[in-house]
Amino acid sequence: MGADGNDIPLSAAQIPADDFADMRRENLARWPTGTEVDLDEAIEFHQSLPKHKQLGWVMRKAAAEGRCLTQPRGGFGTLELQLELMRALDGDGMADIVPTTTDSYTRNEQWSQADVGIEESKKEGRSMLNGFPMVNYGPKQTRKLIEAINKPAIVLSGTAMPRLTCEIGFAAGFTGYLGSGIAYTTSYTKDTSIAEGIRNYQYLDRLAVLYQEKGIDLHRRQPGFLTGTNVPPCIAIAVGVLDALLAAGQGVRNYGLELGQTLHLIQDAAAIQVCGELAHEYLAAAGFEDMFLPVTSLHWMGAWPQDEAQCAALVSYGGTLAAIGGAVSVTTKSTHESYGIPTPNANAEGLRTTRMAIYMARHIRLNELPEFQAEADLIRRETRPIIDRVLEMGDGDAALGAVRALEAGALDIPWSPNRFVQSRVMPARDLDGYLRVYDPGEMVFDPDVAEIHTERLMRRAEAEGVPYDQNLAVTSVYEISEPLDRLFPFPWGPE
Amino acid sequence: MGTKVVHTRGDITLVTGVIGADTHIVGNRILSMALEEAGFKVVALGALTPADEFIKAAIETAADGIMVSSLYGQGELDCRGFRELCIEAGLNDILLYVGGNLVVGKQDWADVEARYVDMGFDRAFANGTRVEEVIDTLDEDFAARAGGIA
Repeated sequence: MGADGNDIPLSAAQIPADDFADMRRENLARWPTGTEVDLDEAIEFHQSLPKHKQLGWVMRKAAAEGRCLTQPRGGFGTLELQLELMRALDGDGMADIVPTTTDSYTRNEQWSQADVGIEESKKEGRSMLNGFPMVNYGPKQTRKLIEAINKPAIVLSGTAMPRLTCEIGFAAGFTGYLGSGIAYTTSYTKDTSIAEGIRNYQYLDRLAVLYQEKGIDLHRRQPGFLTGTNVPPCIAIAVGVLDALLAAGQGVRNYGLELGQTLHLIQDAAAIQVCGELAHEYLAAAGFEDMFLPVTSLHWMGAWPQDEAQCAALVSYGGTLAAIGGAVSVTTKSTHESYGIPTPNANAEGLRTTRMAIYMARHIRLNELPEFQAEADLIRRETRPIIDRVLEMGDGDAALGAVRALEAGALDIPWSPNRFVQSRVMPARDLDGYLRVYDPGEMVFDPDVAEIHTERLMRRAEAEGVPYDQNLAVTSVYEISEPLDRLFPFPWGPE
Repeated sequence: MGTKVVHTRGDITLVTGVIGADTHIVGNRILSMALEEAGFKVVALGALTPADEFIKAAIETAADGIMVSSLYGQGELDCRGFRELCIEAGLNDILLYVGGNLVVGKQDWADVEARYVDMGFDRAFANGTRVEEVIDTLDEDFAARAGGIA
């Protein structure tokens, strides 16, 4: 067989050990630092880490004790800048989980260009890359990041091509890794097929299981934010459950699910509740009874306002939403979000703002409220038929089902850049601030569920005096980023 | 000053896309939809578009302008030499626009704009620029061009 594994028919089944050994050998030969990866040595290093630096353990502990952990994003183009950043996030930011975001060249396996980016960053004295080029530095250099902090570390690498980066990341000593085949392929690529993306993440999950077999409880995590643009809970949860089924198929047992915040308190709390519930239900039904499936809530993933005061509200409210929703962790942003990558200081401030908000909201739950229960019920009624349809289209196989359902639009992702995705579904915000589906594309909702969405959005159009059309979806993309004087001015001033 | 000649938007072809390894498609798609709705001919290349694909598309469609989006911070690396590539390809006076989050992190916009003008872009738009403003600017630039106003 070819060592990339592409001639094994696509399925959710575990990659056989012999095949995987061949795939690893070929993969590690693609860039010089690949030869530095020594699995036995890496496992020894992981075993030597104290528990509080192992994300798998930390997530389990947080879930058991009802804590909501904080984690930012962050990556710079050189080791020196990245060390400084991670120390600041760990220290000043009090991050419970410290990240390393990789740069976009690394994510697209353009390592020669990443080399140029490192050199340019050194020359200019500022980061010219939007993340840390982990493959170029290799596992030995990268391990200095792990040694510099007193918290567990996670790799954040938005890509459909994680094969070499995950080898480097785990070998360096990262104990968490974000990314999944369906979510990232539909959100970060244009020409990569869903099948190829799924295979690449099966590689990653299979690698995590090599560590797991030696007693290393790595935390794998699914990036539920998808395109980050008004993704309704039902789509995020359906993709999360399918990605979890794929990871479980490789043998992963510690798997987090993420949900981007809708910014509606009730909808977010209900989504977090239903996400955990349905994940356990579908994984158990597939024979995976012993999965740990914590839910992470993400600060607003759509467009941010430029005004730092407005951003501060989103950061703080995001902590409140995560805590009240009962998320096990929250991924934070900062007041610099509309400009891109924050300074270490702004990033650390976002963490502390969020932490204080979590502290204040930590005992509040909404689960008994009728409006919460109605929304949770609606999300269940939206989500189950989507997952059922996908599994049916794959004759019970999540991998095949995902490929076929995305192609047909039975599972659809709003605003996807990927040409194998229909991307016809159009979400919009309703009058009460809930995310609803304006146009389902080819997705099928029960008639009574579809009726609720249409009715709520028609009420918004009527109240705003605008036509019931696609513009409801487009204005919802920009809404939160509007300056306050346009968004919410004093309404009774002189003409 | 020359007389202002009103151009027809339907005669103007614009190539749009997100440059480099950048996947941020939403704003670019909304911009492309709005330009089309306003009457321009739009060739939308989508996300993750290398510089030479913009130029290839501009040649194939005899485009009048290229609108480069970048939101992920690495645009400064991706856009270097873009004007030179156009000239090499024989696109001597094509209008070049760039917009988005054009550098890593929060930097002074005047500096950022100057950097991109130095690179040969006719205009740089800051993040948060609304499509109406872009369309007005295009009308202005193409009217100036049609009227022979430099």
